Amino acid sequence: MLYAAGIAANSSGEHDMVSADLLSKYPFFAVLSPRTQRHIAERLVPAEYSPGVDLYQQGDPPTPLYMLRTGRVKLYRQSRDKCQILALPLPGDCLGAESLSTGAPSPYSATTLAPTSAVYLPPDVLQALLDELPDFQEAFLKLITNRLKQFVTLVHDLAFRDVTSRLAMILLARAESEGQPHEGGIVFDRLLSQQEFADMVGTAREVVYRTFKKFEDERLVNLTRTTILIRDLETLRAIALQEAR
Amino acid sequence: MAESLPINFNELCEIPAFRDLPAQQVQSLAAVMVRRHYAPGQFIFIEGEQADSLWFVFQGRVKIIKHSLNGRVQGLCLMNRGKCFGSCPLFEMEKNPATAQALDQVTLFVLPEEALQQLKGHDPHLVKALLHIYSQRLDHLARVSEVLGSWTVSDRINDCLLTYANREGPQSYVELTQEKLAALSGTVREVVTRHLGLLEKEGIVRNETGRIVILNADALLPPCSCEDHSTHA
Repeated sequence: MLYAAGIAANSSGEHDMVSADLLSKYPFFAVLSPRTQRHIAERLVPAEYSPGVDLYQQGDPPTPLYMLRTGRVKLYRQSRDKCQILALPLPGDCLGAESLSTGAPSPYSATTLAPTSAVYLPPDVLQALLDELPDFQEAFLKLITNRLKQFVTLVHDLAFRDVTSRLAMILLARAESEGQPHEGGIVFDRLLSQQEFADMVGTAREVVYRTFKKFEDERLVNLTRTTILIRDLETLRAIALQEAR
Repeated sequence: MAESLPINFNELCEIPAFRDLPAQQVQSLAAVMVRRHYAPGQFIFIEGEQADSLWFVFQGRVKIIKHSLNGRVQGLCLMNRGKCFGSCPLFEMEKNPATAQALDQVTLFVLPEEALQQLKGHDPHLVKALLHIYSQRLDHLARVSEVLGSWTVSDRINDCLLTYANREGPQSYVELTQEKLAALSGTVREVVTRHLGLLEKEGIVRNETGRIVILNADALLPPCSCEDHSTHA
Protein backbone atom coordinates (compact mmCIF):
# COMPACT_ATOMS: atom_id res chain seq x y z
CA MET A 1 0.00 0.00 0.00
CA LEU A 2 1.61 3.28 -1.07
CA TYR A 3 -0.65 5.68 0.75
CA ALA A 4 -0.37 6.44 4.48
CA ALA A 5 -2.93 4.34 6.32
CA GLY A 6 -2.37 6.37 9.51
CA ILE A 7 -2.91 5.09 13.00
CA ALA A 8 -6.19 3.31 13.62
CA ALA A 9 -8.44 5.53 15.68
CA ASN A 10 -8.69 3.18 18.68
CA SER A 11 -6.11 1.25 20.69
CA SER A 12 -7.24 -2.24 19.65
CA GLY A 13 -6.04 -1.55 16.12
CA GLU A 14 -9.50 -2.10 14.70
CA HIS A 15 -11.22 0.99 13.48
CA ASP A 16 -14.50 2.31 14.83
CA MET A 17 -17.57 2.30 12.64
CA VAL A 18 -18.07 5.72 11.12
CA SER A 19 -21.53 7.17 11.62
CA ALA A 20 -23.49 8.04 8.48
CA ASP A 21 -24.11 11.47 10.10
CA LEU A 22 -20.48 12.31 9.44
CA LEU A 23 -21.15 12.58 5.71
CA SER A 24 -23.76 15.28 6.23
CA LYS A 25 -20.88 17.53 7.40
CA TYR A 26 -19.26 17.35 3.95
CA PRO A 27 -21.12 19.67 1.55
CA PHE A 28 -20.55 17.38 -1.44
CA PHE A 29 -21.96 14.32 0.29
CA ALA A 30 -24.72 15.96 2.34
CA VAL A 31 -26.96 15.88 -0.76
CA LEU A 32 -26.71 12.09 -1.14
CA SER A 33 -29.64 9.86 -0.22
CA PRO A 34 -29.56 8.44 3.34
CA ARG A 35 -29.13 4.98 1.83
CA THR A 36 -26.06 6.04 -0.16
CA GLN A 37 -24.64 7.84 2.87
CA ARG A 38 -25.02 4.69 5.00
CA HIS A 39 -23.44 2.59 2.30
CA ILE A 40 -20.40 4.87 2.07
CA ALA A 41 -20.07 5.29 5.86
CA GLU A 42 -19.81 1.51 6.28
CA ARG A 43 -16.65 1.50 4.16
CA LEU A 44 -14.94 4.62 5.57
CA VAL A 45 -11.69 3.99 7.41
CA PRO A 46 -10.85 6.46 10.22
CA ALA A 47 -7.20 7.40 10.77
CA GLU A 48 -5.01 9.82 12.72
CA TYR A 49 -1.83 11.39 11.38
CA SER A 50 1.04 13.29 13.00
CA PRO A 51 2.31 16.50 11.38
CA GLY A 52 4.65 15.95 8.43
CA VAL A 53 3.12 12.67 7.23
CA ASP A 54 2.73 12.21 3.46
CA LEU A 55 -0.82 11.06 2.79
CA TYR A 56 0.33 10.49 -0.78
CA GLN A 57 3.01 11.71 -3.14
CA GLN A 58 3.05 13.21 -6.61
CA GLY A 59 3.47 10.33 -9.05
CA ASP A 60 1.76 7.72 -6.83
CA PRO A 61 -0.88 5.50 -8.42
CA PRO A 62 -4.49 6.58 -7.73
CA THR A 63 -4.86 7.30 -4.01
CA PRO A 64 -7.73 6.98 -1.51
CA LEU A 65 -10.31 9.74 -1.15
CA TYR A 66 -9.64 11.46 2.20
CA MET A 67 -12.20 13.52 4.09
CA LEU A 68 -10.58 15.80 6.66
CA ARG A 69 -12.17 15.90 10.12
CA THR A 70 -9.58 18.01 12.00
CA GLY A 71 -6.08 19.31 11.29
CA ARG A 72 -4.53 20.66 8.08
CA VAL A 73 -2.92 19.33 4.93
CA LYS A 74 -0.96 21.01 2.14
CA LEU A 75 -1.31 19.95 -1.50
CA TYR A 76 1.82 20.71 -3.51
CA ARG A 77 3.95 19.90 -6.51
CA GLN A 78 7.69 19.57 -6.19
CA SER A 79 10.48 19.54 -8.74
CA ARG A 80 14.16 19.58 -7.83
CA ASP A 81 14.42 21.99 -4.89
CA LYS A 82 11.36 24.05 -5.84
CA CYS A 83 7.91 23.57 -4.44
CA GLN A 84 4.53 25.07 -5.33
CA ILE A 85 1.77 24.76 -2.74
CA LEU A 86 -1.54 24.45 -4.59
CA ALA A 87 -4.08 24.39 -1.78
CA LEU A 88 -4.57 24.08 1.99
CA PRO A 89 -7.73 22.01 2.46
CA LEU A 90 -9.70 22.67 5.66
CA PRO A 91 -11.57 20.25 7.90
CA GLY A 92 -14.74 19.40 5.96
CA ASP A 93 -12.80 19.31 2.66
CA CYS A 94 -11.93 16.22 0.64
CA LEU A 95 -8.70 15.41 -1.15
CA GLY A 96 -7.07 12.53 -3.01
CA ALA A 97 -8.30 10.16 -5.72
CA GLU A 98 -7.66 12.89 -8.32
CA SER A 99 -6.46 10.41 -10.92
CA LEU A 100 -8.76 7.49 -10.12
CA SER A 101 -10.69 7.88 -13.39
CA THR A 102 -7.64 8.10 -15.60
CA GLY A 103 -5.32 5.70 -13.77
CA ALA A 104 -2.61 8.34 -14.22
CA PRO A 105 -0.02 9.21 -11.54
CA SER A 106 -1.24 11.56 -8.80
CA PRO A 107 -0.80 15.14 -9.98
CA TYR A 108 0.45 16.39 -6.60
CA SER A 109 1.48 15.41 -3.05
CA ALA A 110 -0.47 15.79 0.20
CA THR A 111 1.33 16.21 3.55
CA THR A 112 -0.13 16.96 6.99
CA LEU A 113 0.85 20.30 8.57
CA ALA A 114 -0.71 19.60 11.98
CA PRO A 115 -2.08 16.62 13.90
CA THR A 116 -4.83 15.51 11.54
CA SER A 117 -7.73 13.13 11.73
CA ALA A 118 -9.49 11.94 8.60
CA VAL A 119 -11.61 9.18 7.19
CA TYR A 120 -10.77 7.65 3.85
CA LEU A 121 -12.02 5.29 1.17
CA PRO A 122 -9.25 3.13 -0.33
CA PRO A 123 -9.10 3.39 -4.15
CA ASP A 124 -10.59 -0.04 -4.89
CA VAL A 125 -13.46 0.54 -2.44
CA LEU A 126 -14.02 4.03 -3.87
CA GLN A 127 -14.13 2.67 -7.43
CA ALA A 128 -16.64 -0.03 -6.43
CA LEU A 129 -18.87 2.54 -4.70
CA LEU A 130 -18.70 4.89 -7.69
CA ASP A 131 -19.73 2.05 -10.02
CA GLU A 132 -22.54 1.05 -7.70
CA LEU A 133 -23.99 4.43 -6.66
CA PRO A 134 -24.77 6.90 -9.47
CA ASP A 135 -25.53 9.76 -7.04
CA PHE A 136 -22.12 9.25 -5.40
CA GLN A 137 -20.51 9.31 -8.84
CA GLU A 138 -22.12 12.66 -9.51
CA ALA A 139 -21.04 14.04 -6.11
CA PHE A 140 -17.49 12.88 -6.82
CA LEU A 141 -17.59 14.62 -10.21
CA LYS A 142 -18.64 17.84 -8.47
CA LEU A 143 -15.76 17.43 -6.04
CA ILE A 144 -13.21 17.13 -8.86
CA THR A 145 -14.86 20.07 -10.65
CA ASN A 146 -14.62 22.18 -7.51
CA ARG A 147 -10.90 21.51 -7.22
CA LEU A 148 -10.64 22.40 -10.91
CA LYS A 149 -12.28 25.77 -10.21
CA GLN A 150 -9.80 26.44 -7.39
CA PHE A 151 -6.91 25.72 -9.72
CA VAL A 152 -8.30 28.01 -12.42
CA THR A 153 -8.26 30.82 -9.84
CA LEU A 154 -4.76 29.88 -8.70
CA VAL A 155 -3.49 29.94 -12.28
CA HIS A 156 -5.01 33.39 -12.77
CA ASP A 157 -3.41 34.69 -9.56
CA LEU A 158 0.01 33.26 -10.40
CA ALA A 159 -0.15 34.66 -13.90
CA PHE A 160 -1.40 38.16 -13.22
CA ARG A 161 -0.76 39.19 -9.63
CA ASP A 162 2.61 40.20 -8.26
CA VAL A 163 4.08 38.80 -5.05
CA THR A 164 2.62 41.52 -2.78
CA SER A 165 -0.85 41.05 -4.18
CA ARG A 166 -0.64 37.23 -4.03
CA LEU A 167 0.52 37.23 -0.40
CA ALA A 168 -2.32 39.64 0.47
CA MET A 169 -4.74 37.36 -1.40
CA ILE A 170 -3.61 34.30 0.59
CA LEU A 171 -3.91 36.14 3.93
CA LEU A 172 -7.34 37.46 2.94
CA ALA A 173 -8.63 34.04 1.90
CA ARG A 174 -7.39 32.48 5.14
CA ALA A 175 -8.85 35.33 7.24
CA GLU A 176 -12.21 34.69 5.57
CA SER A 177 -12.19 30.91 5.98
CA GLU A 178 -10.35 30.44 9.30
CA GLY A 179 -10.29 33.84 11.05
CA GLN A 180 -11.76 34.72 14.46
CA PRO A 181 -12.42 38.30 15.66
CA HIS A 182 -9.58 39.44 17.93
CA GLU A 183 -8.46 42.86 19.23
CA GLY A 184 -10.36 44.73 16.54
CA GLY A 185 -8.90 42.55 13.81
CA ILE A 186 -9.07 38.94 12.63
CA VAL A 187 -6.69 36.28 13.89
CA PHE A 188 -5.86 32.80 12.57
CA ASP A 189 -3.18 30.13 13.12
CA ARG A 190 0.00 30.90 11.25
CA LEU A 191 0.34 27.23 10.23
CA LEU A 192 2.99 27.87 7.54
CA SER A 193 6.68 28.67 7.80
CA GLN A 194 8.02 31.59 5.81
CA GLN A 195 9.37 29.08 3.27
CA GLU A 196 5.90 27.57 2.93
CA PHE A 197 4.36 31.02 2.41
CA ALA A 198 6.97 31.50 -0.32
CA ASP A 199 5.98 28.12 -1.82
CA MET A 200 2.35 29.25 -1.90
CA VAL A 201 3.08 32.66 -3.41
CA GLY A 202 5.60 31.24 -5.88
CA THR A 203 8.64 33.26 -4.81
CA ALA A 204 11.75 33.14 -2.62
CA ARG A 205 11.65 33.14 1.20
CA GLU A 206 13.53 36.46 1.38
CA VAL A 207 10.86 38.14 -0.77
CA VAL A 208 8.10 36.87 1.53
CA TYR A 209 10.07 38.06 4.56
CA ARG A 210 10.40 41.55 3.07
CA THR A 211 6.72 41.68 2.07
CA PHE A 212 5.54 40.62 5.53
CA LYS A 213 7.85 43.27 7.01
CA LYS A 214 6.26 45.90 4.75
CA PHE A 215 2.75 44.77 5.78
CA GLU A 216 3.78 45.00 9.43
CA ASP A 217 5.33 48.46 8.99
CA GLU A 218 2.11 49.63 7.37
CA ARG A 219 0.15 48.19 10.31
CA LEU A 220 -1.81 45.82 8.07
CA VAL A 221 -0.83 42.60 9.86
CA ASN A 222 0.88 41.38 13.03
CA LEU A 223 2.90 38.18 12.87
CA THR A 224 3.83 36.01 15.81
CA ARG A 225 5.44 32.58 15.77
CA THR A 226 2.03 30.90 15.89
CA THR A 227 -0.59 33.42 14.75
CA ILE A 228 -1.34 36.07 12.15
CA LEU A 229 -3.51 39.04 13.09
CA ILE A 230 -5.07 40.98 10.22
CA ARG A 231 -5.40 44.56 11.45
CA ASP A 232 -6.59 46.32 8.30
CA LEU A 233 -8.67 43.97 6.18
CA GLU A 234 -9.85 46.62 3.70
CA THR A 235 -6.38 47.87 2.73
CA LEU A 236 -5.22 44.27 2.44
CA ARG A 237 -8.20 43.56 0.19
CA ALA A 238 -7.34 46.54 -2.05
CA ILE A 239 -3.75 45.25 -2.38
CA ALA A 240 -4.98 41.70 -3.06
CA LEU A 241 -7.21 42.83 -5.92
CA GLN A 242 -4.47 44.66 -7.80
CA GLU A 243 -3.43 42.98 -10.99
CA ALA A 244 0.01 44.35 -11.49
CA ARG A 245 1.00 42.41 -14.58
CA MET B 1 -18.25 29.98 -37.05
CA ALA B 2 -19.56 28.40 -40.25
CA GLU B 3 -22.03 25.65 -41.11
CA SER B 4 -23.27 23.11 -38.64
CA LEU B 5 -23.22 19.59 -40.16
CA PRO B 6 -24.22 16.39 -38.38
CA ILE B 7 -21.46 14.35 -36.76
CA ASN B 8 -21.17 10.67 -37.57
CA PHE B 9 -20.48 7.79 -35.20
CA ASN B 10 -16.95 7.04 -36.46
CA GLU B 11 -15.85 10.64 -36.13
CA LEU B 12 -17.01 10.78 -32.53
CA CYS B 13 -15.18 7.54 -31.69
CA GLU B 14 -11.93 9.37 -32.54
CA ILE B 15 -12.35 11.51 -29.39
CA PRO B 16 -10.50 9.63 -26.58
CA ALA B 17 -13.06 10.48 -23.88
CA PHE B 18 -15.76 8.68 -25.86
CA ARG B 19 -13.74 5.65 -26.97
CA ASP B 20 -14.85 3.43 -24.11
CA LEU B 21 -18.52 4.40 -24.25
CA PRO B 22 -21.02 1.78 -25.42
CA ALA B 23 -22.02 2.27 -29.08
CA GLN B 24 -25.53 3.29 -28.11
CA GLN B 25 -24.26 6.21 -25.99
CA VAL B 26 -21.95 7.36 -28.78
CA GLN B 27 -24.94 7.30 -31.14
CA SER B 28 -27.04 9.43 -28.79
CA LEU B 29 -24.17 11.87 -28.35
CA ALA B 30 -23.60 12.09 -32.09
CA ALA B 31 -27.27 12.96 -32.49
CA VAL B 32 -27.14 15.96 -30.15
CA MET B 33 -23.63 17.28 -30.81
CA VAL B 34 -22.95 19.89 -33.46
CA ARG B 35 -19.97 20.56 -35.67
CA ARG B 36 -18.53 24.06 -35.88
CA HIS B 37 -15.72 25.56 -37.93
CA TYR B 38 -13.51 28.48 -36.93
CA ALA B 39 -10.95 30.49 -38.89
CA PRO B 40 -7.46 31.22 -37.48
CA GLY B 41 -7.68 33.94 -34.82
CA GLN B 42 -11.42 33.61 -34.38
CA PHE B 43 -12.69 33.58 -30.79
CA ILE B 44 -14.66 30.50 -29.76
CA PHE B 45 -15.68 31.91 -26.40
CA ILE B 46 -14.55 34.75 -24.19
CA GLU B 47 -13.57 34.65 -20.52
CA GLY B 48 -16.46 35.79 -18.33
CA GLU B 49 -19.16 34.96 -20.89
CA GLN B 50 -21.96 32.58 -20.04
CA ALA B 51 -20.63 29.01 -20.32
CA ASP B 52 -23.01 26.80 -22.23
CA SER B 53 -21.17 23.92 -23.88
CA LEU B 54 -18.43 21.35 -23.72
CA TRP B 55 -16.07 21.50 -26.72
CA PHE B 56 -13.98 18.79 -28.37
CA VAL B 57 -11.25 19.45 -30.94
CA PHE B 58 -11.70 17.38 -34.08
CA GLN B 59 -9.23 19.25 -36.27
CA GLY B 60 -6.76 22.09 -35.73
CA ARG B 61 -5.52 23.69 -32.53
CA VAL B 62 -7.23 25.93 -30.00
CA LYS B 63 -5.38 28.36 -27.76
CA ILE B 64 -6.69 28.78 -24.20
CA ILE B 65 -5.72 32.16 -22.76
CA LYS B 66 -6.52 34.37 -19.80
CA HIS B 67 -6.61 38.17 -19.79
CA SER B 68 -5.59 40.29 -16.81
CA LEU B 69 -7.55 43.45 -15.94
CA ASN B 70 -4.65 45.37 -17.49
CA GLY B 71 -5.09 43.55 -20.77
CA ARG B 72 -2.05 41.29 -20.47
CA VAL B 73 -2.54 37.89 -22.06
CA GLN B 74 -1.40 34.66 -20.42
CA GLY B 75 -1.52 31.54 -22.55
CA LEU B 76 -2.52 28.48 -20.57
CA CYS B 77 -2.33 25.75 -23.18
CA LEU B 78 -2.96 24.60 -26.71
CA MET B 79 -5.70 22.06 -27.25
CA ASN B 80 -5.14 19.76 -30.21
CA ARG B 81 -7.06 16.92 -31.82
CA GLY B 82 -9.17 14.87 -29.42
CA LYS B 83 -8.82 17.27 -26.47
CA CYS B 84 -11.79 18.62 -24.58
CA PHE B 85 -12.06 22.16 -23.28
CA GLY B 86 -14.64 24.61 -22.06
CA SER B 87 -15.70 25.19 -18.54
CA CYS B 88 -18.00 23.22 -16.37
CA PRO B 89 -21.46 24.54 -17.18
CA LEU B 90 -22.96 21.53 -15.48
CA PHE B 91 -21.56 22.31 -12.10
CA GLU B 92 -22.30 25.86 -11.11
CA MET B 93 -19.43 27.20 -13.15
CA GLU B 94 -21.59 29.57 -15.09
CA LYS B 95 -18.93 31.79 -16.61
CA ASN B 96 -16.11 30.73 -18.89
CA PRO B 97 -12.94 30.85 -16.78
CA ALA B 98 -10.73 31.55 -19.81
CA THR B 99 -10.86 32.56 -23.48
CA ALA B 100 -10.61 30.07 -26.36
CA GLN B 101 -9.25 31.18 -29.73
CA ALA B 102 -8.67 29.19 -32.91
CA LEU B 103 -4.96 29.04 -33.74
CA ASP B 104 -5.47 27.60 -37.23
CA GLN B 105 -8.45 26.22 -39.19
CA VAL B 106 -10.40 24.48 -36.46
CA THR B 107 -13.28 22.01 -36.47
CA LEU B 108 -14.97 21.45 -33.14
CA PHE B 109 -17.64 19.07 -31.90
CA VAL B 110 -19.87 20.87 -29.46
CA LEU B 111 -22.01 19.29 -26.77
CA PRO B 112 -24.57 21.91 -25.70
CA GLU B 113 -25.31 22.12 -21.99
CA GLU B 114 -29.00 21.33 -22.42
CA ALA B 115 -28.27 18.08 -24.26
CA LEU B 116 -25.58 17.21 -21.73
CA GLN B 117 -28.00 17.72 -18.83
CA GLN B 118 -30.59 15.50 -20.47
CA LEU B 119 -28.17 12.68 -21.23
CA LYS B 120 -26.33 12.86 -17.92
CA GLY B 121 -29.46 12.21 -15.83
CA HIS B 122 -29.83 8.66 -17.08
CA ASP B 123 -26.39 7.80 -18.29
CA PRO B 124 -23.67 6.87 -15.77
CA HIS B 125 -21.29 6.13 -18.67
CA LEU B 126 -21.37 9.76 -19.65
CA VAL B 127 -20.58 10.85 -16.08
CA LYS B 128 -17.62 8.48 -16.24
CA ALA B 129 -16.45 10.10 -19.46
CA LEU B 130 -16.76 13.55 -17.88
CA LEU B 131 -14.87 12.41 -14.81
CA HIS B 132 -12.07 11.25 -17.08
CA ILE B 133 -11.97 14.62 -18.85
CA TYR B 134 -12.03 16.68 -15.66
CA SER B 135 -9.33 14.56 -14.00
CA GLN B 136 -7.10 15.27 -16.99
CA ARG B 137 -7.83 18.98 -16.69
CA LEU B 138 -6.99 18.88 -12.98
CA ASP B 139 -3.65 17.28 -13.73
CA HIS B 140 -3.00 19.89 -16.39
CA LEU B 141 -3.87 22.86 -14.17
CA ALA B 142 -1.71 21.53 -11.32
CA ARG B 143 1.20 21.47 -13.79
CA VAL B 144 0.43 24.96 -15.09
CA SER B 145 0.35 26.28 -11.50
CA GLU B 146 3.72 24.76 -10.82
CA VAL B 147 5.16 26.16 -14.02
CA LEU B 148 3.87 29.66 -13.28
CA GLY B 149 4.83 29.55 -9.62
CA SER B 150 8.27 28.07 -9.50
CA TRP B 151 9.97 28.22 -12.85
CA THR B 152 12.06 31.05 -14.20
CA VAL B 153 10.98 32.79 -17.42
CA SER B 154 13.71 30.88 -19.31
CA ASP B 155 12.33 27.60 -17.92
CA ARG B 156 8.85 28.56 -19.11
CA ILE B 157 9.98 29.45 -22.63
CA ASN B 158 11.98 26.21 -22.89
CA ASP B 159 9.00 24.23 -21.67
CA CYS B 160 6.75 25.87 -24.29
CA LEU B 161 9.25 25.06 -27.05
CA LEU B 162 9.19 21.38 -26.07
CA THR B 163 5.45 21.27 -25.52
CA TYR B 164 4.49 22.80 -28.86
CA ALA B 165 7.19 21.15 -30.98
CA ASN B 166 6.11 19.33 -34.14
CA ARG B 167 8.22 16.44 -35.27
CA GLU B 168 9.15 15.95 -38.90
CA GLY B 169 11.45 12.96 -39.25
CA PRO B 170 14.45 13.47 -36.99
CA GLN B 171 13.81 17.22 -36.75
CA SER B 172 11.62 19.08 -34.25
CA TYR B 173 10.34 22.59 -34.88
CA VAL B 174 7.91 25.04 -33.33
CA GLU B 175 5.58 27.05 -35.54
CA LEU B 176 4.65 29.87 -33.21
CA THR B 177 5.42 33.56 -33.50
CA GLN B 178 7.57 35.07 -30.76
CA GLU B 179 4.49 36.98 -29.62
CA LYS B 180 2.49 33.76 -29.19
CA LEU B 181 5.43 32.09 -27.47
CA ALA B 182 5.58 35.08 -25.09
CA ALA B 183 1.86 34.82 -24.32
CA LEU B 184 2.12 31.08 -23.73
CA SER B 185 5.09 31.43 -21.40
CA GLY B 186 3.79 34.43 -19.47
CA THR B 187 6.30 37.04 -20.59
CA VAL B 188 6.83 39.73 -23.22
CA ARG B 189 8.14 39.33 -26.77
CA GLU B 190 11.45 41.10 -26.05
CA VAL B 191 12.35 38.53 -23.40
CA VAL B 192 11.54 35.68 -25.81
CA THR B 193 13.68 37.30 -28.53
CA ARG B 194 16.62 37.66 -26.15
CA HIS B 195 16.26 34.11 -24.84
CA LEU B 196 15.98 32.58 -28.33
CA GLY B 197 19.11 34.54 -29.30
CA LEU B 198 21.00 32.96 -26.38
CA LEU B 199 19.71 29.48 -27.24
CA GLU B 200 20.82 29.94 -30.86
CA LYS B 201 24.27 31.04 -29.73
CA GLU B 202 24.55 27.87 -27.67
CA GLY B 203 23.48 25.74 -30.64
CA ILE B 204 20.27 24.59 -28.95
CA VAL B 205 17.84 26.08 -31.51
CA ARG B 206 17.97 27.70 -34.95
CA ASN B 207 15.67 30.64 -35.57
CA GLU B 208 14.16 30.53 -39.06
CA THR B 209 11.42 32.70 -40.58
CA GLY B 210 8.11 31.60 -39.07
CA ARG B 211 9.58 28.72 -37.09
CA ILE B 212 12.13 27.68 -34.50
CA VAL B 213 14.07 24.49 -35.19
CA ILE B 214 15.07 22.54 -32.09
CA LEU B 215 18.60 21.17 -32.41
CA ASN B 216 19.10 19.88 -28.86
CA ALA B 217 15.85 19.04 -27.07
CA ASP B 218 17.60 17.69 -23.98
CA ALA B 219 19.17 21.07 -23.29
CA LEU B 220 15.68 22.57 -23.13
CA LEU B 221 14.39 20.24 -20.46
CA PRO B 222 13.33 22.47 -17.57
CA PRO B 223 13.11 21.39 -13.92
CA CYS B 224 10.69 18.50 -13.46
CA SER B 225 12.03 17.04 -16.69
CA CYS B 226 10.43 13.68 -15.88
CA GLU B 227 7.10 15.07 -17.13
CA ASP B 228 5.53 13.69 -20.25
CA HIS B 229 5.20 16.68 -22.53
CA SER B 230 2.57 15.05 -24.68
CA THR B 231 0.07 15.52 -21.85
CA HIS B 232 0.50 19.28 -21.80
CA ALA B 233 -1.41 20.05 -24.95
